[in-house]
Amino acid sequence: MAGQPLLEIHDLSKRFAQRAGREPPPWVIQDLSFTVGEGEFLTIIGPSGSGKTTLLNMIAQIDSASGGSVRFQSQIAPIADPKALNPGLSCQIGYVTQEDNLLPWRTTLRNVLFPLEVQGRLNDETRAHAQMLIRAVGLAGFEDHYPHELSGGMRKRASLIRTLVYDPPVILMDEPFGALDAQTRAQLQEDLLRLWDLGRKTIVFVTHDIAEAIALGDRTLVLTRAPARIAGEHKITIPRPRDIRGIMTHSEFGPLYQRIRAELQ
Amino acid sequence: MTSQDTALELTQPSRLQRQYYAVIAGRIGLALLLLAAWKTGADRAGPVYVADPFQVIERIFVDTQSGVLLRHIYVTLRLSAMGFAIGCFFGVALPFLLRRMPRLTNAVEPYIMASVGVPKYALVPLFILWFGIDDAPKLWLVGLLVFYPIFIAVFAGIRNVDRRLINMARIVGASETKISREVIWNSLLPFFFAALKIALPRAVSAAIIGEFLVGNEGLGYMIEYSRQNFDTTGVFAGIVVATALVLVINAMLVEVDRRFNAWRPTERHMEL
Ligand SMILES: Nc1ncnc2c1ncn2[C@@H]1O[C@H](COP(=O)(O)OP(=O)(O)O)[C@@H](O)[C@H]1O
Ligand SMILES: [Mg+2]
Repeated sequence: MAGQPLLEIHDLSKRFAQRAGREPPPWVIQDLSFTVGEGEFLTIIGPSGSGKTTLLNMIAQIDSASGGSVRFQSQIAPIADPKALNPGLSCQIGYVTQEDNLLPWRTTLRNVLFPLEVQGRLNDETRAHAQMLIRAVGLAGFEDHYPHELSGGMRKRASLIRTLVYDPPVILMDEPFGALDAQTRAQLQEDLLRLWDLGRKTIVFVTHDIAEAIALGDRTLVLTRAPARIAGEHKITIPRPRDIRGIMTHSEFGPLYQRIRAELQ
Repeated sequence: MTSQDTALELTQPSRLQRQYYAVIAGRIGLALLLLAAWKTGADRAGPVYVADPFQVIERIFVDTQSGVLLRHIYVTLRLSAMGFAIGCFFGVALPFLLRRMPRLTNAVEPYIMASVGVPKYALVPLFILWFGIDDAPKLWLVGLLVFYPIFIAVFAGIRNVDRRLINMARIVGASETKISREVIWNSLLPFFFAALKIALPRAVSAAIIGEFLVGNEGLGYMIEYSRQNFDTTGVFAGIVVATALVLVINAMLVEVDRRFNAWRPTERHMEL
């Protein structure tokens, strides 16, 4: 990681608005600080309900923060004011959400082309790039299918390449493979690493699965239960390219897994 | 459609086909039964109260040949279409405008909802007073009756749009206009078509009632004029033609709906 970090999260805090007649809601995230380097694959592990989605929503600027700051390329983003939010930071932060959020009335291909279309960047070259991504994740032949005609894994692939297609410098991923069976999940993890190797984007990947966090990341942050704080930070030096299915047998894996599990208690 | 459904369909085509023909036969039988009931009723009640179905058909035939009926149909359709276009335009545009102004929406919503309760037909005398006896009062009537179902459906549709889809579109850089056109419009199409199923027949009904009250052309005028002249056959002919008109419009709407919403998952067992 060289020089200035690409993304700096400083003292970020969040509590949701109080509802009439209820107790003030607790802090979901409190004084959370970390940085992400350019080209780094950062994984974040936290138990369910620890505020991982809330954290990514704030970084993507679809939700406001109650305190703290987010800097991108040293530029401060005004994320405390709901009216000043700039979702996706002018297409610089991509977000693969927990649900696939495909547009149900668009076919696979037209869903993947959607970002290019709204950004006015649809041309022969970007189209060819989209086709290449579709083939790379095994969706060839399903271009004209609607989302409800795809399996869960295919929808995940489509939503993944919908973000990759417009090449944002940072990509946030929220448990993208959480709801899939083990086999599909391993396949998609491999696809993701292969695609990441081609472009080396900066990725912030959230998961509740320790093995996944180790297998994918350069570094992993462990979050506590809400209010989320950082319970531990680990560099993962397992060399790339990694063999996802065989990663458990790597000597670094076992001890790291144990330490992270202890921190999650 | 899963592969299982396909297998089912391939092995039992004759059963499905038989069911389909049975439904068609049933429909034709029911139509004949209704016609017989109408004929019997006409014979019992006498031609002053219930016109003979065959005379009604003959009348429709004769009036069509002379061109009178086509003129009436044209006048009514034109009025319905213009009133519909006006009501539909405002019914769609207003919710989209209000979407940008949440505070104003909160302020005016109870008033709009309360105004739904005003019986529109009761306003016709006022419209005549204000707008004269040309097309204007009738257009107001048709427009208002079309406006409400569409406004309410589109308004509710906009509120029901999946926030996550809007957030996704914002993140990938879609402008507010693009979000309106792509995400919101497509999300509320099912609501819109449901409203059209109410609004389109209403437009024709409202036009006919408007013609009862004002003017000297159109199906409504034809029905009312026949009644005043104790021409029950004319009244029935007008009703039959108006019903046929609405049925044709509905069939066209179903077809358009099918094309626009081809992406929606179909429930195959519902079609059997
Ligand atoms: N819109 C919201 N309003 C109120 N509370 C919320 C909202 N979204 C999430 N929360 C609360 O914030 C906490 C963290 O949620 P979330 O960020 O979804 O966790 P995770 O993604 O780690 O499972 C949960 O306790 C949840 O109830
Ligand atoms: Mg979550």
